[in-house]
Amino acid sequence: MRRLGLLLLTGSATLLVFGFWIPLKALLAQELLALAWAKSQAGQEVQRPWPWADTWPVARLAFPDLGQSLIVLEGGHGESLAFGPGRVPTGAAGPWIIAGHRDTHFRHLGELVPGSEVRLQGRDGQWRRFQVASTQVVDSRRAWIDPSRLPEHSLLLITCYPFDSFDSGGPLRYVVTAKPWPASGDPGDGPDDRVARL
Amino acid sequence: MILTTALLRLDPPATSAASPRWRRWLEGVTLWLAVLLMLFVHPLYAEADTRVSSDAGELRLYDDQGRHQDSALVLDSHVQVQVRGLIAEVRLHRRFRNVSGAWREGVFVFPLPKQATVHGLDMTVGERVIRGEVQPRAQARQAYQQARDSGRQAAAVEQQRPNLFTARVANIPPGGEVDLELRFQQRVRYTQGTFELRLPTTLTPRYMPGRPTGNEAPWQWQGGWARGTTAVPDAGAISPPTVAPSELPPGSHRVDIEVSLAAGVPLASVVSPSHPLDIRMDGTQALLRPAEGPVLMDRDFVLRWQPVPGRQPTAAVFHERFDGEDYLMAMVVPGNLEVPPLPRELMFVIDTSGSMAGESIRQARKALARGLDTLGRQDRFNIIQFNDRPSALFEHPVAADRDHLDRARRYLDRLQAEGGTEMAPALSRALSADSASGADRVRQVVFITDGAVGNEAALFQQIRQQLGDRRLFTVGIGSAPNLHFMREAARWGRGTYTAVAGPSDLEAPLQRLFAAMAAPVLTHLVADWPTPAAEAYPGRPGDLFQGEPLVQVVRGVPPRGRLHLSGSGPGGEPWQVAVDLSQAVPGVGLHRLWARARIDSLLDQARIEGVAPDQAAIVQLAMVHRLASPYTSFVAVDRTPVRAPQQPLLRTAVPTLVPAGSSAGMLRYPQTATVAPLLIALGTLGLMFAVALVLLQRRVGA
Repeated sequence: MRRLGLLLLTGSATLLVFGFWIPLKALLAQELLALAWAKSQAGQEVQRPWPWADTWPVARLAFPDLGQSLIVLEGGHGESLAFGPGRVPTGAAGPWIIAGHRDTHFRHLGELVPGSEVRLQGRDGQWRRFQVASTQVVDSRRAWIDPSRLPEHSLLLITCYPFDSFDSGGPLRYVVTAKPWPASGDPGDGPDDRVARL
Repeated sequence: MILTTALLRLDPPATSAASPRWRRWLEGVTLWLAVLLMLFVHPLYAEADTRVSSDAGELRLYDDQGRHQDSALVLDSHVQVQVRGLIAEVRLHRRFRNVSGAWREGVFVFPLPKQATVHGLDMTVGERVIRGEVQPRAQARQAYQQARDSGRQAAAVEQQRPNLFTARVANIPPGGEVDLELRFQQRVRYTQGTFELRLPTTLTPRYMPGRPTGNEAPWQWQGGWARGTTAVPDAGAISPPTVAPSELPPGSHRVDIEVSLAAGVPLASVVSPSHPLDIRMDGTQALLRPAEGPVLMDRDFVLRWQPVPGRQPTAAVFHERFDGEDYLMAMVVPGNLEVPPLPRELMFVIDTSGSMAGESIRQARKALARGLDTLGRQDRFNIIQFNDRPSALFEHPVAADRDHLDRARRYLDRLQAEGGTEMAPALSRALSADSASGADRVRQVVFITDGAVGNEAALFQQIRQQLGDRRLFTVGIGSAPNLHFMREAARWGRGTYTAVAGPSDLEAPLQRLFAAMAAPVLTHLVADWPTPAAEAYPGRPGDLFQGEPLVQVVRGVPPRGRLHLSGSGPGGEPWQVAVDLSQAVPGVGLHRLWARARIDSLLDQARIEGVAPDQAAIVQLAMVHRLASPYTSFVAVDRTPVRAPQQPLLRTAVPTLVPAGSSAGMLRYPQTATVAPLLIALGTLGLMFAVALVLLQRRVGA
């Protein structure tokens, strides 16, 4: 009986350690990445955050409404998503498609509403302002992204849906579409014509 | 949980002196753990109603907004193939089972072999068989829509591409089923002494270049169907929703394949690189089916057979009479020709787009490495990879010395598959790279891709214009390459097409390809039929590579006299051969082959001249020979209505399986969740149990 309890205890503790390691890694990596990002900007060249990384920082993403700022990595594969949101390569300068884990970096993506501000800083140090145009849930089995059909100056943020699910392989995705901040006037006045809906 | 701890507290232990504080502390920890667990478990309830629920045998789909549509259609397929000599006659049954409570219209996009000629459609509802008719496309569509709207059962099959068809079945009753039988024939491929038959079952998701058409929002889906773009106006019709096998109900999307083979020559071996077979062989005949029974429709079915050594045919003639006309098909295999090898300039073009991700890119890398191995010291080469844009390894083609080859191999190892498939710039780069030293060389381009593009016609045009004296060889990678594109690109590029079915099937076909490329060809071929009025296709036979046959179909030639073939060998020396037509054996379906070849030639001609094809001539030809074509479709309509007008009819797009080996279509959403929440919840739960166990033990002990 005692042995069983001990076994259960160690087993659960191990699970917990691994479970907490994932968000901890995500948190720590962002600190390291901030360093690499600063260097990238100073040197104007690709700087790998640690020598064996197969990804590198490409941008800084900020949600002023949520008080959150993240370093975006290159690539939408698991390797880069473990450390930060990843830019899905489209081969062109735009649109920007950024994916992130719903349990770590993009946990609060659901709090963005149409009209929220999103900022993106490229390697040139310039901040670009975007405005959330719409949010939607898509089924990744039936819908897919075609970058060539998105307006060039748009931003897509993708994470898994539902936010509180335990299923890490679910088919639903939460997609936030943002367009450039209207050049002048009130942010709410911008024409809504280039907003894509699913 | 709070109740439990409260109960524990209500019964304070009074025995051990040291333990109460210790126990109290433990209880506190348990309480906190319980609260923590509640926090994590809470979402489980919240999630319960958003989960996918799919009962066995029922396919549930989501609509655009992520809501589910209720039940859908289940699809069964059954294929019967009869091979006689060089023609395979195929009966393809597709059964649409409606497992929902509503009336359904099923839409299914499916691939057929590129040269498949569809010549029959039957719809079976219960006991009744309704025979389909061939009609001009618009008329057929109208007949179908009228029948659908008036509640009658109907089916229509439309050709979208020479190798891509759409089937529609209207008014499938709740719980009922409708069976479609599609009949088509296709030619068997014969190269290097091996016959090959290939049946596609799924299709690679196609990349649609260009901007969307219409003035809707710039980016839209219709139930997972890509919409038309400027370069691919019919994108909506050729891109079905795709799913992985695990997302389908058990038993759906499986095909039962049965082949009866009458080879006409003594058989040495019958193999399939794609599926293990169950074979009964007897002399020139064989009966076979996949050993596992019904196979999942996620890869092409490939069958190869070889005649007994020494009995390989070098010529064959078939004859058929149809509608008062004579039709002949002749095949000739030129013998081996000896020549010294010429120095070559090889341009390897490798597709590294997203659709190549997974097993496909590994095979492509291997294929290219095989090509590098065949380079001789006097040859030159370069490698171009492309996705959204091309990039070359070397600025100009370089000598194939050890240093350059090493660099090329290292470059290969680093290739990753990501991005779109913009083929045009890559082709331009490969076909326009002219180096002064290339003038006296044999210039060849090897194009390794899955051909997942929708703007084929524009690419063929480009190949024709930029080819010059080069030859373009295509290598099809992946379990479902776009055969139409591969074959046609090779034809326009005066080269050959090689299909690689999988990792185990890599070596042999590539070895044949690279051997053929290094070997000489027959050029300036002319076929001289005894009757001057003969209409033979292909009108101008292409060049022949080692081991390739010359095949001609002709109308209006009785089986008498001789067919004279002539051409020039690799060194310019004349080559000729005569075939005795009176030796012809009866064949079936030759008139359809001929009609199909004529339609293709009319379409080609229009493409070359840049004008609209002669639609009337094609429709007339297709009607006489009862064929589906770009302008004619099959439609089967029942007489009596079965659905009352007030009952709604729901439309369901039946999904196509993602081809095996491709980890994802290039436009798929990334995986964006971790297992952290699950691990934490499980860990917390376990810890709680452990502590509870310890507490309980103490209490019992006390």
